Amino acid sequence: MTENKLLYVHPAPVRVWHWINAAGIVLLVITGVQIRFIEMFDFFSLEEAINLHNYIGFLVIADYALWFAFYMGTGKIKIYFPNPKTFIQDCINQIKYYGGGIFKGDPNPHHMTPTNKFNALQKKAYLGLMFLFLPAQMLTGLFLWRVKKFQVYIDMFGGVKIIDTVHVLLFFFFAAFLIVHSYLATLGHTPLGHFKAMFTGYEEEH
Amino acid sequence: MDEPSQLLKNKRIFLLIFFFFLWSPPVWSIENNECLDCHGDTSLVRQQSEGMKEGLYVNNSQFILSVHNINGITCVDCHADIEKLEMDKDVPHATSLKSVDCSKCHEAEAKAYVNSVHKKAGGKGITIPCYACHGYHYVSNLEAESVIDRENGFCLKCHNPEKFHSWLPQMDTHFNFVECTVCHAENVPLFVNLRFWDFSKKRFLSGTEILTALKTNSTGFMPLIDKNKDNKIDADEFEQMVFKLRENNVFGTFHGELIVDLVPVVHHVNRGKANRECEQCHNPISPFFEDVVISLNKEDGDTDRHVVDRSVLSTYYVNHFYAIGGTRVRLLDKIGVAIVVGGISVVFGHLLARIVTIPTRTRRKEKEKEKKYGF
Ligand code: HEC
Ligand code: HEC
Ligand code: HEC
Ligand code: HEC
Ligand code: HEC
Ligand code: HEC
Ligand code: HEC
Ligand code: HEM
Repeated sequence: MTENKLLYVHPAPVRVWHWINAAGIVLLVITGVQIRFIEMFDFFSLEEAINLHNYIGFLVIADYALWFAFYMGTGKIKIYFPNPKTFIQDCINQIKYYGGGIFKGDPNPHHMTPTNKFNALQKKAYLGLMFLFLPAQMLTGLFLWRVKKFQVYIDMFGGVKIIDTVHVLLFFFFAAFLIVHSYLATLGHTPLGHFKAMFTGYEEEH
Repeated sequence: MDEPSQLLKNKRIFLLIFFFFLWSPPVWSIENNECLDCHGDTSLVRQQSEGMKEGLYVNNSQFILSVHNINGITCVDCHADIEKLEMDKDVPHATSLKSVDCSKCHEAEAKAYVNSVHKKAGGKGITIPCYACHGYHYVSNLEAESVIDRENGFCLKCHNPEKFHSWLPQMDTHFNFVECTVCHAENVPLFVNLRFWDFSKKRFLSGTEILTALKTNSTGFMPLIDKNKDNKIDADEFEQMVFKLRENNVFGTFHGELIVDLVPVVHHVNRGKANRECEQCHNPISPFFEDVVISLNKEDGDTDRHVVDRSVLSTYYVNHFYAIGGTRVRLLDKIGVAIVVGGISVVFGHLLARIVTIPTRTRRKEKEKEKKYGF
């Protein structure tokens, strides 16, 4: 153990953001399931589910603002953008690792450093997530929250059903993402390694 | 008392009356024009006791569009106590006429109205006559009116619903898509009315415009659209109709709204009897979305209602009506299950592969150890 260095990879604002976001999305998925599939589930009444969903929705939006402000303010947002020269090769390496190397016990081709903490696949996924999917989910959610008030914008996109379709497809995506994301988080040096790091900020380096 | 018998004895007068019936029956009823000679003048007012002026003008160009005029109801059918005009007098009729009795012709509505908070309010010294809601000279055909027109025309004249519905999320959205009486009139039959919004004209098309766009008329409409002749426009037939509109260069989308049927029980509005259960509507098997119609009003003021299958509400041709949960697109749910199941399978597949390959990795580790420590 003494040979393992500790690397500070997750600054405090990022950790706070992450866990609020995680809890928020889990609850949004649960209340969302209740709202859409009212005839199948009975965790809450529709009224409760909607109220909860709306409060948490705004919490997640505020939380996103925190994330955005932190990464933009510190210029750290760079870590989300892949290096275009090596991106494709990095991706291939990473796919080979997850699809083969990991079973054989090969080391992870990506080396985590505070300024380059995501591997190429993560960059691609998180970039899409944070700059496209989550904002789209927040925007469509906001529209659904006050259909009458945002009528003009909703009509511009083709109607409330279109807005809802985007919101629902992304909801399914987030539900699947939660599962895959949690699983991938167990693929660190130890199954709980990445989880611990998200609480303490320190990742062990081998 | 014996005067009439005397008259009858008089053969000439008897004949006169006979011819009178035969040749000129209109003389018995007073024509609207006779009233409008005076009441068609905007300046006809009368002084009221407090020095206030009361207008006695009736706008004929509006009156002729009213349901009553269209159905042949004249001034004196309502103002029934004017039997004749004595034109030699200043005012050719009594100056304090009886108030008009709407229930004379609308018996069923009057009966239904008795059992309502508004009629009962009469007992508290407030009078809410029929025309407080409906107006009188310019009653329009309600069938063709949108939720907003109906609400503005009626309930919103006296009530501010913002005060009573704070429990209802997005009350303004509900008020836009659900007529007040849908919730407030007990057991009233209701349906979803579909209206076509034209993208280029930027307004709703009238029934006649839709028929023209389909190059048909009110009798040709169902034979053209309802291919399987079950008197119901199902989702496929609806799609074909939209394609036909597009072929004729009419592009647009359907809006929907939940409105009550025009039957007397709409007057059964009472305190504490309103629908509150969200699940009644926000539920895919909700009876509230059972009846869907497309109403095509014709030039003569009549309206044809054509039944549409409820599955049409869950298509992308009705994009401007979506009651969460209730009219959802089922295909999305299938796609969703596929996405989530896909995610789970990837996780379990990978996990399984890792478990299966544990021996490989242990062997490798042992080998590496051997190399390192030189066993
Ligand atoms: C010669 C002009 C004239 C004609 C024709 C006439 N009215 Fe009037 N009408 C008046 C005037 C003037 C008054 C106001 C009476 C007053 O001073 O209270 C009046 C008042 C009324 C009122 C209000 C009465 C009330 O009880 O408050 C009604 C209703 C009415 N007219 C209906 C009719 C109808 C229906 C006809 C046709 C059958 C008609 N009038 C024909 C001049 C006319
Ligand atoms: C559907 C029934 C109906 C018809 C048809 C009708 N009225 Fe009236 N009218 C009313 C009612 C109701 C009132 C309100 C006061 C009352 O009860 O008398 C009224 C009031 C009036 C008044 C008093 C001023 C006012 O506007 O309140 C005048 C004048 C009048 N009517 C003239 C006419 C004339 C002229 C015609 C024909 C062109 C006509 N009405 C047709 C029902 C009718
Ligand atoms: C002389 C008979 C008569 C009187 C009096 C009368 N109406 Fe009507 N009313 C009719 C007829 C006929 C129709 C058209 C047929 C139908 O829809 O029932 C009609 C239709 C209506 C409609 C239906 C509109 C629709 O879209 O279906 C309303 C609302 C209405 N009248 C209100 C009133 C009110 C309010 C009064 C009293 C001020 C009144 N009527 C007095 C005969 C009358
Ligand atoms: C509190 C408001 C209110 C009052 C008062 C009222 N109505 Fe109505 N009436 C309505 C509403 C709402 C409808 C449904 C149409 C709609 O939703 O646009 C309606 C519909 C009607 C219709 C058409 C439906 C049918 O049954 O054919 C008639 C006719 C009618 N009312 C007559 C009357 C008569 C007669 C009275 C008095 C006895 C009266 N109304 C009093 C609100 C009212
Ligand atoms: C002409 C004015 C008027 C119109 C139009 C009107 N109302 Fe009312 N409404 C009243 C009055 C006044 C009361 C109070 C009666 C009482 O206190 O007993 C009342 C009472 C009520 C109540 C009972 C709750 C309460 O506050 O006492 C309901 C529910 C209601 N109205 C719904 C409606 C609906 C729905 C419409 C439209 C179809 C409508 N009203 C149109 C005047 C109106
Ligand atoms: C989604 C159903 C719904 C719709 C739509 C709706 N209401 Fe209500 N409203 C209710 C319920 C539930 C109450 C609570 C009291 C009750 O049970 O009557 C209520 C209460 C009221 C009250 C007070 C009654 C009381 O008993 O204190 C009035 C007045 C009223 N509504 C008018 C309106 C008007 C006007 C509209 C249309 C703009 C409207 N409502 C639309 C469901 C509805
Ligand atoms: C009478 C039927 C009815 C009742 C009862 C009802 N709703 Fe709705 N609701 C609708 C309709 C119809 C719409 C669709 C409006 C649209 O097309 O945007 C809607 C829209 C909504 C929306 C906006 C999102 C959307 O789909 O446009 C929310 C949120 C909502 N309802 C929640 C509730 C809750 C919570 C309750 C119970 C307190 C409730 N509703 C009761 C019919 C109803
Ligand atoms: C990633 C997180 C989110 C998920 C998984 C999610 C999921 C869902 C689901 C499944 C529905 C039901 C849709 C239907 O029945 O058709 C829904 C409705 C809704 N969502 Fe979200 N949502 C998320 C984020 C948000 C956000 C950020 C907001 C912003 C406020 C929001 C606001 C709404 C609103 C307003 C509705 C309509 C019902 C209501 O008023 O609650 N959602 N959501």
